[in-house]
Amino acid sequence: MSRISARTRNEWITAYSFLLPNIIGLLIFVFIPILYAFYVSLHDWNALSPKVFSGLDNYKVLLKDDLWWASVRKTLLFSVIYVPLLYVLAIISALLMNALRGKVVGPVRTMFLMPFAITSVISAIIGMFMLDPRNGIINHLLGLAGIGHQQFLGSTAQAMPSIIGVILWINIGYNMIIFLSAMKEIPRDYYEAAYIDGAAGWQSFLSITFPLLKETSTFILIVTTIGSFQALDQILVMTKGGPANATEVSVLYVFKQGFELLNMGYASALAFVLFLIIFCLSIIQLKFLSLKK
Amino acid sequence: MKLNNRIVLPTVGILFGLLMIFPIYMLVISSLRSETDVFSFSLLPVQMQIGNFKAAWLDSGLPRTILNSLIVSITVTVVAMVFHAMSGYALARFRFPGKTYVFAWMLSTLMVPFAVIMIPLYLITKNLGLANSYAGLIIPSIFNAYGIFLFRQFYVTFPKELEEAGYMEGLSLSGTFFRLAFPLSVPIIVPLTIGFFLANWNAYLWPLIITQDEKLWVVQQQLAHLVGGGYYTPWNIVLAAAVIAAIPTFILFFVSQRYLVEGIKMSGIK
Amino acid sequence: MGKRWKGLTIGAVAAMMLFQVGCGNGNSNGNGNGNAAGKNDSPAQTASGGGGKKVKLKFWDFHTEKEEEFFKGLVDEYNKTHDNVEIEYSTFNQADYTTTKLPTAFASGDGPDIYMISPGDFMKFAKSGLMADLNPYFPEGAKEDFLPASLDAVTVDGKVMALPFELELLGLYYNQDMLSNAGVEVPKTWDELYTAAKKLTTDKVAGLILPPDKGPYFNFIWYPFLWQQGGNVLNAEGTESTFNSPETAKALDFWGRFFREGISPTKLQQGPWEIDHLGKKTAAMQIVGTWAINRAEEVFGDVPINVAPLPLPDGGTAATDAGGWKFAVNAKSENADEAAKFIMWAFAEDPQRALEWCTQVKFAYSPRKSVVEQGKDIYSKGMRKVFTEQIYDSAIPEPRYPSEVLDVVGDAMQQVMFGKTDGTQAAKDADGKINEALKKINK
Repeated sequence: MSRISARTRNEWITAYSFLLPNIIGLLIFVFIPILYAFYVSLHDWNALSPKVFSGLDNYKVLLKDDLWWASVRKTLLFSVIYVPLLYVLAIISALLMNALRGKVVGPVRTMFLMPFAITSVISAIIGMFMLDPRNGIINHLLGLAGIGHQQFLGSTAQAMPSIIGVILWINIGYNMIIFLSAMKEIPRDYYEAAYIDGAAGWQSFLSITFPLLKETSTFILIVTTIGSFQALDQILVMTKGGPANATEVSVLYVFKQGFELLNMGYASALAFVLFLIIFCLSIIQLKFLSLKK
Repeated sequence: MKLNNRIVLPTVGILFGLLMIFPIYMLVISSLRSETDVFSFSLLPVQMQIGNFKAAWLDSGLPRTILNSLIVSITVTVVAMVFHAMSGYALARFRFPGKTYVFAWMLSTLMVPFAVIMIPLYLITKNLGLANSYAGLIIPSIFNAYGIFLFRQFYVTFPKELEEAGYMEGLSLSGTFFRLAFPLSVPIIVPLTIGFFLANWNAYLWPLIITQDEKLWVVQQQLAHLVGGGYYTPWNIVLAAAVIAAIPTFILFFVSQRYLVEGIKMSGIK
Repeated sequence: MGKRWKGLTIGAVAAMMLFQVGCGNGNSNGNGNGNAAGKNDSPAQTASGGGGKKVKLKFWDFHTEKEEEFFKGLVDEYNKTHDNVEIEYSTFNQADYTTTKLPTAFASGDGPDIYMISPGDFMKFAKSGLMADLNPYFPEGAKEDFLPASLDAVTVDGKVMALPFELELLGLYYNQDMLSNAGVEVPKTWDELYTAAKKLTTDKVAGLILPPDKGPYFNFIWYPFLWQQGGNVLNAEGTESTFNSPETAKALDFWGRFFREGISPTKLQQGPWEIDHLGKKTAAMQIVGTWAINRAEEVFGDVPINVAPLPLPDGGTAATDAGGWKFAVNAKSENADEAAKFIMWAFAEDPQRALEWCTQVKFAYSPRKSVVEQGKDIYSKGMRKVFTEQIYDSAIPEPRYPSEVLDVVGDAMQQVMFGKTDGTQAAKDADGKINEALKKINK
């Protein structure tokens, strides 16, 4: 066994001391609560009376809970539509921003970011107002264009797309900025070299920009996916899971079980299963994204 | 081709930009309307009810809550920025045993919805003696793997030469970080500052359960209070309050515009 | 060099945190809450209770504006006249109050001593020992002053778990002009209601406003449609579902029809409990409660709004829903005693306070006969007269079903509203689920 050099050991120590505040913080304020939540999932608990141990009962129940699995399907549907859309729109916007020069840059960038400045609850409320079937401005404009009134949030078919639209609106700007920052890191010389070689526009994007954005893309895709499984505020405000459960996604179901029905034990079990689903998805995504080169 | 860039692109940019702020325009317009008119969809304000803003500012606890939100958001952002940059850098640049596990563990903390850990978190915070205090609002909010993840991705793209340069200058490992890497992190720090600040500015559930004293309320609690949920909601005042509540974030955006400009070219290192 | 930086940062952060902790604790300990009267009179005066130590009570609710001020006033007055007690009053957003704030606080043992409960949440808290038995605290003769039905609604196993102080009845509000202009009479039957609403529906005006979103209020408005036919969700003992009945199917179908045919909007910009729909002339009729009268008179005085009893189905009996919050004491509190005394003082003693609440701060009926008697004049003014003379007697208190049952009923309503199934099928499906839920709860 080779001796570990002082330099390597120094590296280990520095690394861990750099990580220490976050390790401690995450441990105390996130991980232990998660463990506690798992502990609760093994009980019957309504938050107001003492817990009653019930072992894996909650998990057995959830396997047969049709409403739960329906919510999982809805969540996946939401994700599958939202994440790619956000990714594509954010990248395209970033490309656009990157190509802009001159005085327009500042204002346009600010305009894209503004939706993010409004609280998610307020943006949801604005979205609701604008999408109102009778008095909303969107329908008004559609009417002017000759298209009939839509029900949007009041229709079981349109509610989900409407919510996706609002959440996209909120988040495009911010994710665009992240892509933009990464794009700016790419040295100009790369593009110049490619230009000399005869590549331009779309080709240079494919061969230079896109590959160099891999780390950022990975980040955005994973974080957005994880986030899409947890989008609660907007849905609570806009539809509460309706109409007729059309927008009842998993996290909403967990919240309902936990805080409206006070089935804390069951809600924790559901959350745990949700966590496992997200975890597996993220691993798959990471593997897939690291392979793709 | 040049024409394209001069006219087409900027026009497209501005059009999309206007589309993005259209709902915000509606927000501001509606906040200037009288109570009975709030929902009318005319594009121009019919009357200018500045009184809404006066009421929102004076009659509710809005100013105090804005101050509280500022204290919390700024503190969390600053502290988190340092901690997360350090962690991200370590995960990206150092070799040490258990690296993948630590990273995976940190990432996994992102995957549990807050509502689920809310109650245990409250119990822990209470037992640490931090309930109903600024510390209780601030400290638990600092630790979030999002920033760590982003910093890591960012630092992974740094060229190896960075550490070598640091070594040659006689800097220790942490010195390399604090003197070389961190200052070069501006392109990622700026969006993250915006992100952290906003996440804390928007926080609602946690402040709701950890504070009891009205004096500790943050901005979102005040807005929710205005909405009430009782027998009627004075929407015009709520919207006015929402506009006021968004002003600090708008200011943050304007200020950070200067730094969002050009990325720092890595070639300079060589 | 780097190490020094690090040390400085961590040191600064630690200092900041300590500073914050110091500040924060100062805030929470210093009774800084502007709500309580807080004037510490000389501790020498001890009217009742222990030697000079002040009992601190936490009172949480969700009221806003005038209602909040009323309770603040009560708290201030009580604090001033009772030196051994100091009550701290805090309010929260209503939705969060019941779903998040209360459960979280109670779960960690930090719950308030005094709080408000609605029929929808009643059983949850009653079953967890979070409501103190108020029987011993009724002043002489007060208990008899209450309507038996209102006390029944809060009694479990012979114990009065909360104090009712308001009864809010539902009626059919309408815009007189709109009806006359369309040549429509005030509907008295279901069929008339349907035809009238349909006729009155235009692009800009909804024929009838009903709540479209799931929740306790949603069910609250619908129950009369079931009760008027003699149907009910559960049997009298509350142990079994009676939901699978033709009455239920009919009520579900009738309700759902309004939405499917576009007479009632499936999405509202304002709450379905706000009379603004009529006030702003975006609707012709609305089923809403007594609380709307004050606002209609004060803000929409120029709109000819009137009210009528809820229309009946063929062969049906008059029935309306009587809701209202109740005042409760946390049985697990150390000072449940003093808390109960406050509640009784507020609404079971001097009728004046109850009268003020029910007639000035808002409009509602009191469950106390003496109060209604005293307020006779007010109860015969304007729209109130309709309630007093034509609606009051048919009031049935809002049921206190467990949340699971509420949820299943709500789902059934939505399934029919959005055309997923018809009334009969929905009633059948719900029936099974209700029984399942009941089994689990009464395990």
